[in-house]
Amino acid sequence: MHAIDNTPSNDSRDKQMPKMSMKLVLRDAGIGIALLLLIAFFSLSTQHFLNPNNISNILTQITINLILAIGMTFVILIGGIDLSVGSILALCAVVGGTVLTIPDLAVWQAVCLATLAAMATGVVCGLFNGWISAFWGLPSFIVTLGMLNIARGAALQVTDARTIYSFPQTFNDFGSKMVFGVPVVFLIALALVALAWFVLSKTVFGRLLYGIGNNEEAVRLAGHSLMIYKVAAFTIAGALVGIASIIYMARLNIASPIIGIGFELNAIAAVIIGGTSLSGGRGTVIGTLLGACIIGVLANGLILFGLSDFMRQMITGVVIILAVIIDKYRERITAG
Amino acid sequence: MTFSTSGPSVLFAQASTLSRPILELHDIRKSFGGTVALNGVNLSVNQGEVHGLIGENGAGKSTLIKTLCGIVKPDSGTITLAGQAYSPQTPRDAKARGLQVVHQEFNLLPYLSVAENIFIEHLPRNIMGVVRRRHMNERARVALDAIGLTDIDVRWPVERLGIAHRQLVEVARALMTDSRVLILDEPTATLTSRETERLFSIVAELRDRGVSVIFVSHHLDEIFRICDRVTVLRNGETVFSRTIGETNQDELVRGMVGKQLHKEMANDVVSSARSDVVLSLAKFRHAQSPHHDGISFDLHKGEILGIAGLVGSGRTELLRSIAAAELPVSGALVREGKVVKLHSPKEAINAGIGFVTEDRKDQGLILTMPIAANVTLASLSDVSRLGLLDRKAEDATTTRLGSDLKLKYGGPSKHVSTLSGGNQQKVVLAKWLARNPRILLLDEPTRGVDVGAKAEIYALIRRLAENGLALLIVSSELPELITLCDRIMVMSQHRIVGEMARADFSEEKILTYAYQGERRKTEH
Repeated sequence: MHAIDNTPSNDSRDKQMPKMSMKLVLRDAGIGIALLLLIAFFSLSTQHFLNPNNISNILTQITINLILAIGMTFVILIGGIDLSVGSILALCAVVGGTVLTIPDLAVWQAVCLATLAAMATGVVCGLFNGWISAFWGLPSFIVTLGMLNIARGAALQVTDARTIYSFPQTFNDFGSKMVFGVPVVFLIALALVALAWFVLSKTVFGRLLYGIGNNEEAVRLAGHSLMIYKVAAFTIAGALVGIASIIYMARLNIASPIIGIGFELNAIAAVIIGGTSLSGGRGTVIGTLLGACIIGVLANGLILFGLSDFMRQMITGVVIILAVIIDKYRERITAG
Repeated sequence: MTFSTSGPSVLFAQASTLSRPILELHDIRKSFGGTVALNGVNLSVNQGEVHGLIGENGAGKSTLIKTLCGIVKPDSGTITLAGQAYSPQTPRDAKARGLQVVHQEFNLLPYLSVAENIFIEHLPRNIMGVVRRRHMNERARVALDAIGLTDIDVRWPVERLGIAHRQLVEVARALMTDSRVLILDEPTATLTSRETERLFSIVAELRDRGVSVIFVSHHLDEIFRICDRVTVLRNGETVFSRTIGETNQDELVRGMVGKQLHKEMANDVVSSARSDVVLSLAKFRHAQSPHHDGISFDLHKGEILGIAGLVGSGRTELLRSIAAAELPVSGALVREGKVVKLHSPKEAINAGIGFVTEDRKDQGLILTMPIAANVTLASLSDVSRLGLLDRKAEDATTTRLGSDLKLKYGGPSKHVSTLSGGNQQKVVLAKWLARNPRILLLDEPTRGVDVGAKAEIYALIRRLAENGLALLIVSSELPELITLCDRIMVMSQHRIVGEMARADFSEEKILTYAYQGERRKTEH
């Protein structure tokens, strides 16, 4: 430490900078290595894991959780949490599904309108979450717990607890469309990861989200309105839920008010396994991508391995706890 | 352990021939990162004496106390307690050896009862492990009565008590265990005069029972009231120890302050009278102020205006409300001739007001983010286009300000947490300078900053003033204000009780104003 303090910038900088970024690279790499080890393990121990069909199956299964987890990353980075995404997913789906089944619309019109409607629904819910918690200074845990019930209730109310189906065939086909063996819906999720990465690491907005997660008061005293950024993080999460709901409908060809129960916890798990700190200010969306992949690979691989779904659930739980322990340990090493 | 033959050690060696020393510290040293907190402290406390410990903020009193109660491990030096080597690893060790501390920060559990708080370390239990509540309450009653807190029910939750009563409950808790040495860390800061009297009689009783009391205070009159001896600390070193009869207030003040400031004062140019007012406050009142007329003063272009006063006199609140970190309740703020109403720090910054907070870790810096990100935090629009960060511009700003401020750092991408206290403070300053303010508010600008960086920050402040920046500085270090300022105002009880121009500066005068206001309070 001393040496660093006292050396004037230039020559030491050349040595220090790569070292620092190496550490950051290693952070994500650690999760990546864990993922590779899992993949290696399952490819050796099971017959069908590396089968192209199985791979695209995994990618399809990851997609929804990944999109929700991207939004969750924004919220957790500012030190918040969003428990309502599962319920909002259902509400977005029934709103989108209703629009999608409006008769006399061309398919492309219906899909565009449905996407807009679903995203708008998610945005409204996100705005509510963000504004209530920021304006009243309430913990987002409580506010989104409330929203979890509000959105679920609303979804059941507007549909009278009925499931919506008979969507246009081209729409349903889209859900299982492949490009070179990769599901299109997964590519959409990947594009969203790239967009989120860009926003978080290259923009003033992203910089301030990290700042708020680390030291809200310092950001406020430096002349930034916290409200805007907090509300924006929840709103982004809401908009992403809207997108996820459309993909969900395209895959399962239904929109039911009871879908998405517990999805928020999977999304949080992906973010945490991906190395984002629950107290905010630290983490990347690339980590979240890897975290979602780990959950997906585990789920698929363990079933192929012959374990029951119950066992799979238990092991996923253990992995979540392990991820946090490893992260804590790693933090101590990088700090020391 | 070598003992220097000059100065302090000789003095207390003489004094301690009278009675047996129970606690002796030899050449205690402690650094935190680059900051030296204790730089050779010697202290000898006799059995059955009240020993005053005084020094300005940052002199090392708190670190010394933390060392004694096992929270901080010294880097070097030896401590003996009752003739045996003493190196506590935890506060529990310290207690086991008979050393108790009543801390300045409260360690009470607000939702538990007074009795439970008093007995928290060993709740009386029956065989089944159930708390013997009635027994506990009775004993707590006795303990409270002993210190005169007769009007408090021991079953009340602590949150129901006022701050002064909480302090006394802390004292009662410390008195539950028999101790050889009791340390009271600024115990009277929150007490009214009646309660202070009560505390003093308790202290006298303890002394008569042979307990040694170390009494930390910045109220010199209290030191003279109850102490037998006094030790002065400055910059982490023992300046001297004296029996109370052999010293006087002037000597203690001089000891705390040191001589060097007179030198620095001499080579300073007397600033010329200034005309253009950049900021003026009229009946400006923040939420904590009890006075309807609030505070009024003018700040001129290129002026360095200091605000002195004791802790709690409302200095920080004043700065915070000027910077709109908290909103004032009434009064006007006039910027360059126009009354402006500032609703948020953002508006204050846009009005050209920068604010270096007292607590850089909690309010100034984002420790786990890069230096560059911290430097540009208040001027992000200058290093971005259409919301996209321009890393090159950001690094350029950081490098430019870094060399202006003589910042010693590994590079713009290093985390701020890797820097020493002085360099961290420079990053805070750089953040505001990047914004080009017209007015800079500084709250304790050199707290926790090493001597070298301090001198550099002083030079920077002077240079900024020469370039026309108006600076308003709050500091608890009088030499700092005397060295830097063109004018000093003294605050007490949320009002300005005195003002002096450079020619009239003296520590005595400032302290007189500050304590006068205090006395007025205690007479209420």
